[in-house]
Parts: sequence; C-alpha cells; structure tokens
Amino acid sequence: MSCNYESDFASQWCPGCGNFDTLECLKTALCNLQIEARDFVIAAGIGQAAKLGFSLRCNLLAGLHGRALPLALGLKMANHKLQVLAVSGDGCFYAEGGNHLLHNARRNLDITMLASDNRVFGLTKGQASPTAAADFITKIHPEGSGAQPLEPTLLALSAGATFVAKAFTGNPDELTAIIEAGINHQGFALIDILSPCVSFNKVNTFAWLKKRIEPIAESHDRNNRAAALQLAQFNPEEKIPTGIYYQTEKPVYGAHKKALSGEPIAGRTQNYKPERVKPLFARYR
Amino acid sequence: MLNSCNIVIAGAAGQGVESALVLAGKSLLKAGFHIFISADYQSRVRGGHNFMRIRFGDQPLAAAVSTINYLLALNEESLTRHLPNLTNEGLAFVMADDGLNVADQRVVKIPAEAGPTTAKTDTFTGIKLLALLFTELSLSPEILKESVRQQFAKKLSPKLLQTNIDTISELARFFTDRPVQPLPFSSSPDPQRMLVNGNDAIALGMVAAGIGVYTAYPMTPSTSVMNVLADCGPQMGIAVEQVEDEIAALNAALGASYAGARAATGSSGAGICLMAEAIGLAGIGEIPIVIFDAQRSSPATGMATRTEQADLLFVAHVSHGDFPRLIIAPAGHSESFYLTAEAFNLADYWQIPVFILSDQAQASSERSVNEFDLEKVTIDRGAIAKEPQSAEMLRRYEVTETGISPRAFPQFSKWLISCDSHEHNEIGQVSDDIENRNRQHNKRMRKLANLAATLPGPEIIGAPADNLLICWGSTVGPVLEAAEKLRTQGHNFAVAIFQYLYPLNRERIEKALAPFKEIYTIEGNYSGQLGKLLQMETNVRISSHIGKTDGRLFTVEDVVQSLTELVGGGQ
Ligand SMILES: Cc1ncc(C[n+]2csc(CCOP(=O)(O)OP(=O)(O)O)c2C)c(N)n1
Repeated sequence: MSCNYESDFASQWCPGCGNFDTLECLKTALCNLQIEARDFVIAAGIGQAAKLGFSLRCNLLAGLHGRALPLALGLKMANHKLQVLAVSGDGCFYAEGGNHLLHNARRNLDITMLASDNRVFGLTKGQASPTAAADFITKIHPEGSGAQPLEPTLLALSAGATFVAKAFTGNPDELTAIIEAGINHQGFALIDILSPCVSFNKVNTFAWLKKRIEPIAESHDRNNRAAALQLAQFNPEEKIPTGIYYQTEKPVYGAHKKALSGEPIAGRTQNYKPERVKPLFARYR
Repeated sequence: MLNSCNIVIAGAAGQGVESALVLAGKSLLKAGFHIFISADYQSRVRGGHNFMRIRFGDQPLAAAVSTINYLLALNEESLTRHLPNLTNEGLAFVMADDGLNVADQRVVKIPAEAGPTTAKTDTFTGIKLLALLFTELSLSPEILKESVRQQFAKKLSPKLLQTNIDTISELARFFTDRPVQPLPFSSSPDPQRMLVNGNDAIALGMVAAGIGVYTAYPMTPSTSVMNVLADCGPQMGIAVEQVEDEIAALNAALGASYAGARAATGSSGAGICLMAEAIGLAGIGEIPIVIFDAQRSSPATGMATRTEQADLLFVAHVSHGDFPRLIIAPAGHSESFYLTAEAFNLADYWQIPVFILSDQAQASSERSVNEFDLEKVTIDRGAIAKEPQSAEMLRRYEVTETGISPRAFPQFSKWLISCDSHEHNEIGQVSDDIENRNRQHNKRMRKLANLAATLPGPEIIGAPADNLLICWGSTVGPVLEAAEKLRTQGHNFAVAIFQYLYPLNRERIEKALAPFKEIYTIEGNYSGQLGKLLQMETNVRISSHIGKTDGRLFTVEDVVQSLTELVGGGQ
C-alpha cells in the first residue's frame, strides 16, 4: 500500500508547536498500521489543534467548536466500519464539548480521540482551558481562574472509556505507539496529548513538561481500573505519568443494535426502497 | 355540508381516557368511518383534566369541532365542564355516582351494578361508557370487542381481557328501554384505510424515504417520531440514538449524512434553539439534512402539550449568516407523509438543511387516511461524483452554475472528501481568500434562488372571491371547513394553503394572490408570521391577522366566529 497522506495545506501553526509532532506521529502510526486513506475519517472540532486534518490527505469532517464527538457518533452510526479519529484541543473537547465526552465514553463509541492538551485556548489567543492550573494568569484571569484543573484521564475513566492514555509530543516514539494502540483498540480511546503552546502558555512549556513526565512503570496493570484511577490522581506540579493508563474490552457502541451489524447503513441505503415502509401500515388499521 | 358526529371522552390523567380513545378510534375505523381525533391533554401523569374529541363521518375530516354530540364523562368534573357544548339532542354518559349533582335530561346515568362484578373499578368506566355509546348508535359491540383483542391481547392477562369483553357484552344489553339513535350517515368501509397521527405520518415518510440514522433528544410533541423509528429500526436497518442533547442530535445526524446515510433529527422549538449553530454547519458544509420541528407553545418551555405556530420566523432565520435552507409545512396527515419523503430528496438534491414544520395540533391529532401510495414516492440522492482513477481529494465544493457540487461517500468511493465548517476552497480546505469567499458564498446562495424558482406557490381553494385567507399546517383543515360554512351564509372567502414556506417563489405567489382585494392570515401565533414573511419577500400586503396563542387548536367554530366578526366589522 502507498503511504501517502501528504497535503498541500500550508500549516497555520507557530514554529515549535507540539501539533507538528502529533501530525508526524499520526502519519507514522497510520503508515505502520497500513490504513488506507479511504478507510478513515477525521472528525475535527475548532481550534489550532483541530486544523491537523487539513494537513493530511484524508477524509475530513471539520465541524464546530466542541462538536467533534457527536460528528464521530454519526459517522459510526452510518458506517460502523469506518476508522474514526476525533481530533481537537483541550478547550474544544473538555470545555465546549465536555458533555459529549461523558456520553460517548459511556457509549464506548469505537473511535480514537486525539486531544491536543496545551492547557490553553491557542486559537483565541491565550485564555485558560479546563486543564489550566487555578493560578494560571491570562488577560481574562489576571488573578487566575481559581478553578481546579480537570484531569481528562480521570474524567474519561470514570465516564467509562475503555482506553485511556496520556502522551507527550516531546516523546514521539511513545506518542506514535500510543496512537497505534488507540486506533487498534476496539472502543472509546482517549489520548490526552501534552503539547506545548509556544505562543500562549509560558508556564507549561516544553521544558516544564519534559521535566515532569514519567513513563508508567512496567508493573502497572493497565487492565485494572482501580489502578488506573489511582494513576490518574497525580499531582501535575510534580510528575505526570505517560503511557496507557487503562485498556479493557467491553462491547462497543452498536454491538447491541441490529441495524449496526453487517453491511453499514451507508452501504445499504441504496437498497432502501419506499416499499420498505409497507409492512408498518398494518399497525394503523 | 359534512355529515359527522363528535364524541368527547373526558377524564383525569390515569383514568383510562387514552385506552378508551384508542378503542373508539380503532373501532370506528373498522366500522368504516372517516375519523379526526384530537387530544387535549396536560403535561402530567395523573389527575388534571384531559379530553379527546373523536369526530367521525362519511367523508374525510380535517378538523375538530367544539360542538359535542356524545359526551363520555369519566368523572363529574368532565360532565360539568363539557355539558355546555353538548347539542340539545346530544347525550352524556356518566357513571351514576359521578353524575349525582347534575340534573339534565341529556345525561344518561349508568348504575354502579352495570357490568360484571369483576369490572367494578374505575378503570372499566371508559369501556362501559363506550359500549353504551356503541349500542346507542346501533354499532355492533363485536367491533369494540375485536379492537379490545387487537389492542390488549398482548398487554392484559387472559382473565382481564375476558372481563373487558364481558363488560362490553353486558353493557350492550344493559338498557333494554332506550331507543337506538342510528347515525344520520352511513359508513364507507375501506380495509386499506389507516388511522395515523401527524407524527406517525412523518415517521412513515422518513422510512419510505430510506432514512438510515435518526438522532434526537426527547421533547414533546416530537418524541413519537423517534419511538416509531426506534421500534422498526432493528428490522429496517435504521440506527436511532437518544443523544445527550439537541446539539449532539444535529451534529450526529450531520456526521451520518456526510458518511452516506439519509439522516434526520427532530425536536420542538426549544431543541431547535440548541441546534442553531449546527444548522449553519449544514449550510456552509452543504450537508443534506432533514430537521423536524413539532412546534409547541412558546417561548422557552411554554406549555409542553399545547400547540402554536410561532417557530416559522425563527426557523426561517435560525443560525447566523446567509445560507440556503428550505422550510416545508405539510398541511395534513397524508401531506406529512409525502412531503417528508420529498424533504429528503430536496435535502440531497440541494445539499441543504430542510425543515419539516409541524405543530402539536397536527402531531398528536389522528386522522383516517387512504393507504399511502408508494408509487408517488421516489428516492433521488442528487448529484454523485464520478469515480476517479485513483484516490484524490474530491472537489467537494466545485463552483458550478447551479451551485450544486457532486458528492461522494467515504470508503464507498475512491474520493477523499473534506467537508468544512469554515469558509473553504473547492477541495474543502479552510480559506479566507477574498475571491474564493465570494465564489463560494455566491455558489451557495445561487442554490437558494434556483431552489425558490422550482417551488410551487400556494394552492388556492374557493376562488373567485374578494377575500383570501392564508393558512398553513394544522390551521388549514378548520379554515377550509369554516370557509365552506360561511359560503353557505353568503360570505365568500377563498383559502390559500401554503406548504412551502421558505424560500418563497415570489413570482408564483404574487400571481396567485393578485386577484384578491383583502388578504388575511389565520395562524396559530400572535404576530402573523407567514404574513410577515410574505411581506418581507413579496409585494403581498396583509389586511389583518387572526391569531391564537392559547395553545389550543383552532376548531371549525373558532374560525367561523373569527370570520363572522371580520365580516361584521366591515359593515
Ligand atoms: C461556539 C464557539 N465559541 C467560541 C469559539 C471560539 N474559539 C475557537 S477555538 C477556541 C478555543 C481553542 O482552544 P483549544 O480547543 O484548546 O484549541 P487550541 O487552539 O489551543 O489548539 C475558541 C474559544 C468558536 N469558534 N465557536
């Protein structure tokens, strides 16, 4: 197979942005997994991270701020055989779209969510995101937000995600391996990708992140939810574990639905003729 | 004039008014009558006051009337509330202890001992009254029994089922001294005839159109569409999902449409408010989608089980910016079926959001219709791109004369397809280049102009006349009947039925409306929203508006009264 996802799109990221690394790692993972471009769709939100899809030659559904996950749900309902990647930033996934994260994790929707977590709203020039520390100073929050940062892995674990991982753009081999594992995973895979924002986050810089990240110990039992929950309760000021926190097998969204077995609905649609409604008429007599 | 009879069944929530209604409806359908049933119920599970109007006759019926021929009162409150609307020749049936304080010759009191000893509780009141009424009208009690078996064989224990059957037999024999009052019209049986509510017709239209995905969040009065689709979904290959909110509902439906399914969502006004942003996504992304809005009393939560037609201007403008959209408001139940099926074709053809605007009055009223003719339903998926030699980016937003750019579906095509909520170039990459913006914006807006030119104008009934009444949706039935009534009294009103509400075909509308001196709107809203839209978009001028905001449907009498005042006022 040809491994060509090159797009002519001129990237709109700042030099040194972690998104470049994520893009390269994703390309490598897709190549390694030999996934044909026609077989996957990127469902994107809005933000700097969400623009990643334009830099790939691929199927892309670039939607609204916060709404990448419901798009992904619809994609999987129409065609459960598509590989779906939901790509966006921490503001998009955890602020505007927080509700969708809870419910699609509950559904165990079989998608891979790449959340570029720079702890800041990049595109709108530096406001606090839900993962920002309470004392993170911005124009809007000269005194800090006062709100506790959300730990996405902890949230996803409690909501029912079956694959929860954290990666760092400064560690591309690990990031690539996690993306591959996430795509291979059957079920809802959240990958929170620590990614420096060189322009708007002068606190959680590359060096700051590098100093704190620490690969999860070999001994961690990733099938153990209690251990994963434990792992996700770290103090980010001290150390941040990277790697796969949790992975388990559970029925995926649609497994209980007859309409979502066999040939995808999108493929069957051409056989849906008006006459299909006729058997229903008897109920109304 | 119509030959019809109006029965009202009234009682508290939880008293079995609904089962009595279902049995009456099914039985009158079997007996071969045309039927129009409207329900007036409160948003509560027990208590309160609910009543159902069951009108039946020898010709198709499209409206409710307030005058009652037979009243089945399940409690005393129901009796006193509705007696004023009972005709002089009418009859009210009530259990004796519910009618203690009412002295009225028209009230037939049923002694507590009527019926089997096993059927003494309140839950049997509905069926007792119904059995008596059937006897009174010399309709066969066997039909009622058949409906009981049809409806309840699976839900009730065999013993309880038999008690219901026995109740019918005994009540049919109970009064030996009452003269029967045969109906002044005959039935016209048609075994294919169906009794559907407006939402059933819409759900069935969706199935006929080949829907594959329906995503929604429950909201009265739209939810029953989801119930019907969810029920047949497993067999028919329709995936239905109750999502976390209406924002997810429309976004998920758009995802499904992009992936190649025919998709729809539905809600009532408040839910449509939450969909606003994604409606714009459908517009700029050119993603075909059908959005069903069962309007209800507004604003905000309004009155949950009450009707209104006040979403039109909202839906005509919802979401920021200019982009093409289509609003269809089926006037009636058969129309709901056919126009819903057509909505999917128009959505696919023009790659736009298409709204189906119904309202609570139509959504929950049941009407007998001829079996839907599937020969009249076609499926047209619109322009599909020719397959390329090898995988490449589709010019998904190719600038064309018509504004329509061929589509393809991921994985089912070699094309790679980018669909974007930003302004984008032809291959779907975000772009804010000036020339590109102008080309893409013009391309989208060309679709609106081209679409408008294909749409029909209003249907005019009762011309020539000096006065014209404009109406849409559930208001059409009562207006047509009232206009006919007034004609017999020497007042000529023609009626304009609008089903395509936006965009408006200016030329056709102006031509159709030109002959009339005075033009009035009758709508279930305060401001005369269709009138306003017409005045914005055409040279039509509205003389005045007859509105209604009390949440109740227009009865024929309501309209007659308003029109009588209108003519009276002109003298
Ligand atoms: C409904 C809506 N609200 C707000 C915005 C403005 N907006 C665009 S991106 C964004 C936040 C971006 O932050 P994040 O998701 O973390 O992505 P990043 O740019 O940091 O990669 C906001 C607030 C929008 N586009 N839509």
